[in-house]
Amino acid sequence: MKKQFFKLIIVSILFILCSFNLIVKEKQVSDFKLKNAKTNKLVSLSDYKNAKGFIIIFTCNKCPMAKFYTQRLNQMNDKYKKMGFPLIAINSMDTLAYAEESFQRMQKKVKNDMLNFPYLQDKKQVVGKNFKASVTPQAFVLLKQNNKFVIKYEGSIDDNAGDYQNVKNHFLTNAVDQLLKENEVTIKNSEPFGCRIFYRGIKDKMK
Amino acid sequence: MKKIFLVSIIALTSSVINAQYSNMTMPQALYGTTFNLNIHESTKQLVTGNQTITGSINNETFWGPTLFINKGDLVRMNVTNNLNESTTVHWHGMHLPAVMDGGPHQVIPAGTLWQPYWTVMNQAATLWYHPHLHTTTQAQMTKGIGGFIIVKDPAETALALPRTYGVDDIVLALTSRSYNTTTNTFVSPPTSARVYGDYMLSNGTPNAQYTLPKQFVRMRILNAEIERGYNLGFSDNRTFYVIGTDGGLLGAPVAVTRLPIHVGERYEIMVNLGNDVVGSSIDLKAYNSGQSQSFPGGEPGTTGVFGSLLNNIDFPVLHINVGATTTTTTPISAIPSSLISNTYWTSADATVNRTISITNGTPGPASVPFNFDNVSYAEATINKTVNLNAIEKWSIANTNPAVFGHSFHIHDIEFKIVSRNTGTAAAYESGWKDTFFISKNETVSFVGKFDDFADSDVTHPYMYHCHFGGHEDGGMMGQFIVTGTLGTNQNENSTSFSLYPNPSSNLLYVNLKDANTEIYYVTISTITGRVVMMLPQPEWQNGIDISSLESGVYTFQMMDKQTKSLTTKKFIKK
Repeated sequence: MKKQFFKLIIVSILFILCSFNLIVKEKQVSDFKLKNAKTNKLVSLSDYKNAKGFIIIFTCNKCPMAKFYTQRLNQMNDKYKKMGFPLIAINSMDTLAYAEESFQRMQKKVKNDMLNFPYLQDKKQVVGKNFKASVTPQAFVLLKQNNKFVIKYEGSIDDNAGDYQNVKNHFLTNAVDQLLKENEVTIKNSEPFGCRIFYRGIKDKMK
Repeated sequence: MKKIFLVSIIALTSSVINAQYSNMTMPQALYGTTFNLNIHESTKQLVTGNQTITGSINNETFWGPTLFINKGDLVRMNVTNNLNESTTVHWHGMHLPAVMDGGPHQVIPAGTLWQPYWTVMNQAATLWYHPHLHTTTQAQMTKGIGGFIIVKDPAETALALPRTYGVDDIVLALTSRSYNTTTNTFVSPPTSARVYGDYMLSNGTPNAQYTLPKQFVRMRILNAEIERGYNLGFSDNRTFYVIGTDGGLLGAPVAVTRLPIHVGERYEIMVNLGNDVVGSSIDLKAYNSGQSQSFPGGEPGTTGVFGSLLNNIDFPVLHINVGATTTTTTPISAIPSSLISNTYWTSADATVNRTISITNGTPGPASVPFNFDNVSYAEATINKTVNLNAIEKWSIANTNPAVFGHSFHIHDIEFKIVSRNTGTAAAYESGWKDTFFISKNETVSFVGKFDDFADSDVTHPYMYHCHFGGHEDGGMMGQFIVTGTLGTNQNENSTSFSLYPNPSSNLLYVNLKDANTEIYYVTISTITGRVVMMLPQPEWQNGIDISSLESGVYTFQMMDKQTKSLTTKKFIKK
């Protein structure tokens, strides 16, 4: 009886811990196939045979917070693609509701901002939902393990969008650097900030 | 030499003192009869570290431009929603047709152009515009979407009042915000239910200072808060003068040393800086310490849903630096003894009496949010029907049992407060009003005339509601329509029409099969269903301007005025 009670306590403690997200089970995401506004071709993670992992950024055309990061993303891809962590940007905004997020406007952004990484359109919002991306910009670091894509970091890119000189925490690049040294990522998530991604059918705010 | 040294010391110390203040933003002034308002997300450096995501209009970074309009003018608004979500824009205090009013029914989807227009019938007053989308009002207000409207008329212009915008006549939108400690985003729904900010923002500026000339100055003050009230006064307790309420100027200035202003209310005040030394300063402060718990922000706590660092304390809302007397405009050196003549309605004028009870809101597990007469807002329910030109007395009772204070606002009209059961209405609130505070255990009565607009429009009713963001989002809102005598044309019209030229590149004309049909609303959508233009009562006889549309196929949906039925046609934009 006493033992059973003890067991119950343990189980409930575990349950509480899990519900408070203290025991983080590493999430996996499945591969996708999305059209690239840079090349007009379909891109999937499996195309990158030699990649160790990926930097995935959910972003969009219009969000002022996302716009702050254009140059930083180009620099990151420059540096980390060579090291096996290419950067891929995904736009999961609802194109039916937001004219400015159309594929044509994405192509325009690629040209104007001279993006050096793929900018994919998630027209059906499937990939965004799979990642549970909530705002733009939102960063994910994936590590390829046994052909599975494990999320090692998710959250903001860094802690200062408007003022690059005063960034104190480079969450995203720190995570990638640690993975490159085959270390555990110490800060596995942070709170992302930016413009909300509204998912059609989930939050009916788009009458 | 000694003098120069002294001056530089003073300059140095004052610059050191001023270092803690930032210069207050004075919103851009827009004049004319056509206004292009582009609502969008923006960012602003409000605290150290990350910028904060804000909502703003045109070139501002928080809040929007001040629109100057003249009584009698036909004004046209081109409102484009460039947010990532739907919104509405309500012209708070404006007397206009319900279909132009911008209430919760006039949803502007993201990316859509809404074109209301109306003839300005209000007298000179300080009004404002803000989002009014049900369940999203608090979040969008928190972002900072809104702006002032200043109505001018000959009666006001004839008076010796300060009116050089940004110089001796300023707008002052008072609100407060809290910031997420890691991302610096505003604390607001849906992630937080907190209602009081921890840090003051004056026209969107933290720790605001402003230089005003050594003479009488005019301040148009708006409480743009979510819930907090401000008991305003100057730091030396000097007397100042209330010259205008929500709906316009008073008959004569009212001298006060304290002025409570609640959510949605506006007061125009004048204060004399003529006896101050140039270079000296004085604070406009909220004397909120010692307020009862029924006064919003009077709660003692600093944490929790109703907690705030600004609760129940005195704090500055504007640090005023006294500058040189103006030379390019004539300085105002006296308070006019009288202002304009107003003829107010009295209780005896009212032919209809209504009582509305504030109900629910008691905290607890099974609690229903605050509402009126135990009925929460429902989009399809018309709660009151008012006859055109009726003079009505509405009594709002917060006694059932009272939990908290509220800010009551009604669309369409300006009214006169005729009684407060806790005593008489204060002299400073004796003018035309559209919003008032109603304390715990209080019943407030007002009389107003529902004139000019009777559309019986159940698809776009007028609203009455508590102006506390969380309360209206929670359903403390009712709707009313104004009905007139029935039109002579009672026959079923054919609502059939054709569009020409088709394809069209600039102007699209409507050819009605039945000339008696009146076009009430036109909605233009892309072939995929995205709404791009919303045109209430369009002036279709001159052609509808579609030049801003990209080329493609569109649907043209017409609602006719009599039956409110919808007919759809397609057209091609070249």
